[in-house]
Amino acid sequence: MALLEAQDLSVHFGGLSAVKSVTFGIEPGERLALIGPNGAGKTTLFNLLTGQLAPSGGKVLFKGQDITNASVYARTHLGMARSFQITSLFPYQSTLVNAMIGLQGVEKSRYGFFRPFFKDQALKAAAQELLESTDLWDLRDEIVSSLAYGQQRKLEIALSLASHPELLLLDEPSCGLTTTESADITRRIRDLGSKITVLMIAHDMDLVFGVAERVILLHYGQIACEGTCDEIRSNEMVREIYMGSRKQPGAGG
Amino acid sequence: MDEELGQIPGGPPIAAPSPEDPAARRVPRPLVETVLPIAVVAIIVLLLPLFIPSFVSSLVTKMMIFGLFGMSLNLIWGYANIPSFGHAAFFGTGAYTAAVLVTKVGLSSFWLSLLLAIIVTAAVAAILGVPAFRVFGVGAGAANPIYFLLATIAFGELLSRMAVSLRPVTGGTTGLSGIPEAAIGFGAKTNPEQYYYLVFVIGAVCLFLMYRIVNSHYGYGLRGIHDNERRMQALGYNTWLYKYTSWIVAAVFGGVAGVLFAYFGSTLVPNNLAMVTSDISFLLVILGGTTVFFGPLVAAVFYVGVEYVASVYMPQRWPLLFGAMFVIAIMMIPWTKGRYQGLGPEVLRLWRRVVRGSA
Repeated sequence: MALLEAQDLSVHFGGLSAVKSVTFGIEPGERLALIGPNGAGKTTLFNLLTGQLAPSGGKVLFKGQDITNASVYARTHLGMARSFQITSLFPYQSTLVNAMIGLQGVEKSRYGFFRPFFKDQALKAAAQELLESTDLWDLRDEIVSSLAYGQQRKLEIALSLASHPELLLLDEPSCGLTTTESADITRRIRDLGSKITVLMIAHDMDLVFGVAERVILLHYGQIACEGTCDEIRSNEMVREIYMGSRKQPGAGG
Repeated sequence: MDEELGQIPGGPPIAAPSPEDPAARRVPRPLVETVLPIAVVAIIVLLLPLFIPSFVSSLVTKMMIFGLFGMSLNLIWGYANIPSFGHAAFFGTGAYTAAVLVTKVGLSSFWLSLLLAIIVTAAVAAILGVPAFRVFGVGAGAANPIYFLLATIAFGELLSRMAVSLRPVTGGTTGLSGIPEAAIGFGAKTNPEQYYYLVFVIGAVCLFLMYRIVNSHYGYGLRGIHDNERRMQALGYNTWLYKYTSWIVAAVFGGVAGVLFAYFGSTLVPNNLAMVTSDISFLLVILGGTTVFFGPLVAAVFYVGVEYVASVYMPQRWPLLFGAMFVIAIMMIPWTKGRYQGLGPEVLRLWRRVVRGSA
């Protein structure tokens, strides 16, 4: 059974159809990349899957359960998590507090009204583990808005892992990073392990081919083609839509 | 953040993650930075009535009441980024409830009137909170926070209109007067000097409770909403519930301030529910700064002091002065390019300088 399924999913804003009857599934443990030119509807599709947007038509199923109308936070409790293309952190808090707030989102203690936040040793220990695994522990007392961009992107991914998701949706995880930083992110995503299923949007082809097992190309809100990395690499339509139609002389294979 | 915890006296020692951890070896921030200032302020406030004439101690009573009022607004504004232009709705609801119970219903116990006022205020906030957050909305997903702000103004005006029209109960435009001295039990009534201590005790309890709330798991949930509500939802937080409950909590503390105000002034008018009074809480938060817990309390000391001086030397000019305070308080942050963040942070900085200088 597919972990996540989109069935005939559509959304239109006025007369503009941003996503047109998209149907696909992702199997547990799979790494699926969503590619497509700017404005193809990739992030819009993400917002439909995570509940930020309500679809005009179609269904979203997670573990066989219809979650089309479930709220964003309810989906997180079911085991979905996402990162954001535009870095989305708690800029006025320290790195440690960011991690602690991130981790308690699916804990019952989040409604604790009188118990001091900083006396929660279990939460602190979990935050330390999370930050150490992303090499951010040394920066725990820094205010997040003062961190370097690359470090913020790392924290972005750390926060999306904080709810211990089964399905991780990454929206351009390497957006705006240097080649070295991007390679580091690629390695981290590859090392996530088979317990976490990954669906990611990416423009960076090194990241796509480095991580993904299957690729879906979105064009004008529709699935133009899908296949394995090799199939996508050699697909004529992908070249035309995505990499530009003009064949470069001498660029073989 | 670790060191902030380490200083709490009598608390369990913080387990150091590892011996190499530099945070473990860092000297904990000295007690002088938190416990000492609280003790000093408390002792000064407690001993003050012995040295000052009674009209000055009544000013201090007013400072404490308004400080609580401003801090209750800061609970939602400073921590969850929910501004409200109608906080007096709750201040006035608390005040009117207690006053009506004492003058019309014939309830004699201060404590019972306080308790019932808290319940009524919470109920009013729970009812008004539904349209405020469900229809108008503020934060992620809301169309425009201006609708929310206008709605909060409307709540205050609505309640003050009701106070005008329910003449048999609320006394109409003339309001309620002759609210007796607070009867705190055992047949004791409080004269103004004793009332000073009553306000101090209740204010201290409220401050303690608010401090615990903003530093709890829930309080950090509010901080997260302040910084980034969308991310909070993606992390699994029902942010609507946080905003709605914090609105009620802030209303309750505002209502307590209102009850204290009713017994203090012994007179209430419909304006105590309306924009004129909301403006005061608004000014206290801007003046004191939203980033420091006790900011509005510092602002209240300043505000009540200025109000008194103005009432002596230029009573007709008070509205002008009030407006000028508003404008200056708002303009100060851009003028100083963000170096000044309000009276609260300034006092904190000054205190740290004094402590570090002497150490």
